[in-house]
Order: sequence, then structure tokens, then C-alpha cells
Amino acid sequence: MPFLLSIPILAFVVILQTAILSQMPLLYGASDLLLIVLAAWSVRPRVQAYWFWGIVAVGLMTFVSSQPLWVTAGSYGAVILLALYLRRRIWKVPLLVMFAVVFAGTLFSHLLSVINLWLTVSLPPVFDVFNQITLPSLLLNLVLALPVYVLFGDLADWLYPEELTV
Amino acid sequence: MLKFSSPRSAQTLVLILVAIGLVLLALGGYLTPATRLLLIPFVSVQTWVSTRYQAIQDFITTPNDVATLRQRNAELESEVGRLRTQVIALQQQVADNQVLTTLLRFVQDNPENQYVTAAVIGRDPSPFLHYVIINRGSDQGLRRGMPVVTQDGLVGRIAAVDSAAARVQLITDAASSINIRLQKSGAEAMLVGQVAGTVALQMIPQEAKIEVGDVVVTSGLGGDYPPNLLIGQVTGVRKRDYDIFQTASVQPLVDFRQLNIILVITNFQPVDIEALRP
Repeated sequence: MPFLLSIPILAFVVILQTAILSQMPLLYGASDLLLIVLAAWSVRPRVQAYWFWGIVAVGLMTFVSSQPLWVTAGSYGAVILLALYLRRRIWKVPLLVMFAVVFAGTLFSHLLSVINLWLTVSLPPVFDVFNQITLPSLLLNLVLALPVYVLFGDLADWLYPEELTV
Repeated sequence: MLKFSSPRSAQTLVLILVAIGLVLLALGGYLTPATRLLLIPFVSVQTWVSTRYQAIQDFITTPNDVATLRQRNAELESEVGRLRTQVIALQQQVADNQVLTTLLRFVQDNPENQYVTAAVIGRDPSPFLHYVIINRGSDQGLRRGMPVVTQDGLVGRIAAVDSAAARVQLITDAASSINIRLQKSGAEAMLVGQVAGTVALQMIPQEAKIEVGDVVVTSGLGGDYPPNLLIGQVTGVRKRDYDIFQTASVQPLVDFRQLNIILVITNFQPVDIEALRP
């Protein structure tokens, strides 16, 4: 069930991202809803289908975006790995894990994008990129992190109900 | 001497005379004090009765009225909501119509090209890339490399095509580079996109005379774009003696944040010069 649900849910998220969120930039930054959703999904302790969700997200993103596959796969893979690592270490405060993963994931994703631009075109002005793209994107992602965490937390609790020991 | 046929007739006559007399007295105003004396208690009683009746009627009927009013209010609110939606839809139609009219005028003014109109339905999720997604694809005859314009000027070119959609690389994308000509001086240069969504002129010869306000158009060199497509105006020039080339900043005529409907030039086939490059 969590495997099957990933495709329509993530497809809807991609539609929301391209049709609405990407049209509402803050300075030159924009939120990455797919990254936030993957983080919210992977930080839940009982969730298991995180890699499948990651593969679907990378596939959909590669389909709609001009971003090379390695940038998208690297960004989302890093988000899932970090979420898995932190959810074992800081398992008592999953919300903190969520914010930490979104924060670090956004920075890493932008770092990969800058490296891609450097390799394909030229090195963009790093200070301007950080001020005008990364910081606004970071703010937007952190603002969206809480509602997405709550929404996908409920979904995860519904799909992976807690086992009661008698 | 008058004789009455019966005592009843005499009474009737007397009553009529008295009535006439009273009417005449009333018309003359002689009965006003008497009528006032009678009317005051009458009106008071009537007012008391009427007020009590109104109170009882209100007590009985008000709950029904509140229910009716609430229902009516809900109906009216629903009607207002529907009309608001209609107004928004009509305003959107008017805006779309204005854009389409302007595009039509542009098409009529440039009959040498064939166009396919498309709507922008999305943007690239990455803030580092400046691409838009349009709702026309190979089924409508679009091919990779076709130039995209609006009534204001050049937008970019098609970078990827699917059957029902296509991805357009905007001229503001960092990987975009276009051969241009400055209309006034005739100098040729290269327009490149910046990661922040602006554009700049590079490789302008040192001897070229450029001024703020110069119009920038495509030169057609390289075969990527047809010549003489409007791009924008020069907003600043940077010339240093020790540099090989001048640089300049350009303000595009197209507002890329308000891009809704675009035109794809379908009769222009870009020339692939990759094989000629050393």
C-alpha cells in the first residue's frame, strides 16, 4: 500500500510544485516541496518504503525538470540517508530531525546545483547565489516543513499503525 | 301646516336634520374640543391593544422569521459566492482576451512567421534553472530548438518536447547564450543569462559605441534564432581599457514572472552547427 500510494501522492506534489510553488519565488529562491515531503516521510520511525518513495520522486523530478539526474538523485538520496541516520540518533524529537534534515538537505541540494552549473556553464557568484537563492529557499522550506510534517505524519501513522504489545 | 304620514317619518326627518347639523358644526370646527375629548381615550386604548397584539404576534412568528431569514441569508451568501467566482472567471477571461488580442496583433504584424499559441502551465522546480513548461508538444508540431516569443519580444527556445507538453529554456537561464546585434550601432555581441534570472551582454568589441537605451535584437548568427527578434534595452555599460571586450547589462522587454501565453515560431528550423565546430 505505501508503495502504491507513493506514485499518485508524489505526482500531485510535483504538480503543486511546478504549477504553484515555483511561481511564487521569494527573491530568486523557491521551495522544494518534494524534498520536504521525502524528509517528512523518512523521519517517521515506522516508515519503511522510503527508498521506493525516493526513486519515484527522482523519476518524477527528472521528468519535469532540466536538472541532471545526478543532482536530483544526490539531493534526495542525501535527504533520505540523513533522515534515516538522525531518526535513530534523535528518535525522541522527530520534529527536530525534520527541521535538521530540511535545513541540511536544502543546503546540500543547492551545493550540487552550483557544482552542476560550474561544470556545465561557469561558476556562478557564490555569495549572490547564497543571498538571493539559497537563503530565501531555506526560509520557504523551513516554513513549509511543519505543515508537511504533520500531514505526512498522519499518513505514515495510518499506513504503519503502532503495534500494541499485550 | 305639514302633516306626516306617520310618527316614524317625523323621527327620520329629525335624525337627518340633526345629522346635517352635526356635519355642519364639524365642518365649521365647533365640534373639535368635543371630538378631542372623545378621541384621546379611544386612541390610548387602541394603542394599548395594538401594542399587546403586536407583541403577541411577534412572540409567535419571530422564530419562524429567524429561520426563514437565516435560510434566505444562506441562499444570498451562496449566490454572492457564485457571483464572485463568476466575476473572477470573467476578469481572467478579460485578461486572457487582452493578451490574445495583443498576440494576434503581433502575429498580424509579423506575417512571415507561423505560430502556435501555448499557455505556460508550470516552471522548473529548481531555482537555479529558468525553464517553463507549456501545454503544447510534438502533437501540435513543436520541435526542439524552435524559438518562443511574446508580443513584447524573445522568450527563449524549446529545450525538450513531449507529445502534449514542452519545456522552454528562457533567455535568462544561465546556460542560455544568444548572438545579438545592437540596433543603433550594428555591433554584435553575445547575450547570456545569469543564475539570478537577469541577462548581460558579453564580448562587445571595445570600439563599439553603445549607449544606455540601445535596443538589442537577435542577429541570426549561429542559426539558433531568426534575426531581428526584439530582446530588450541596454541599461548599463562597463568599459575598461585593459579588457578585451566591453560588457553591458540588459533589461529584457518580456516580464518573465508574468509569462502566461506565448507563441512558438514553427516555421524556423535551427541550424545544427555542432559538426562544423573544431
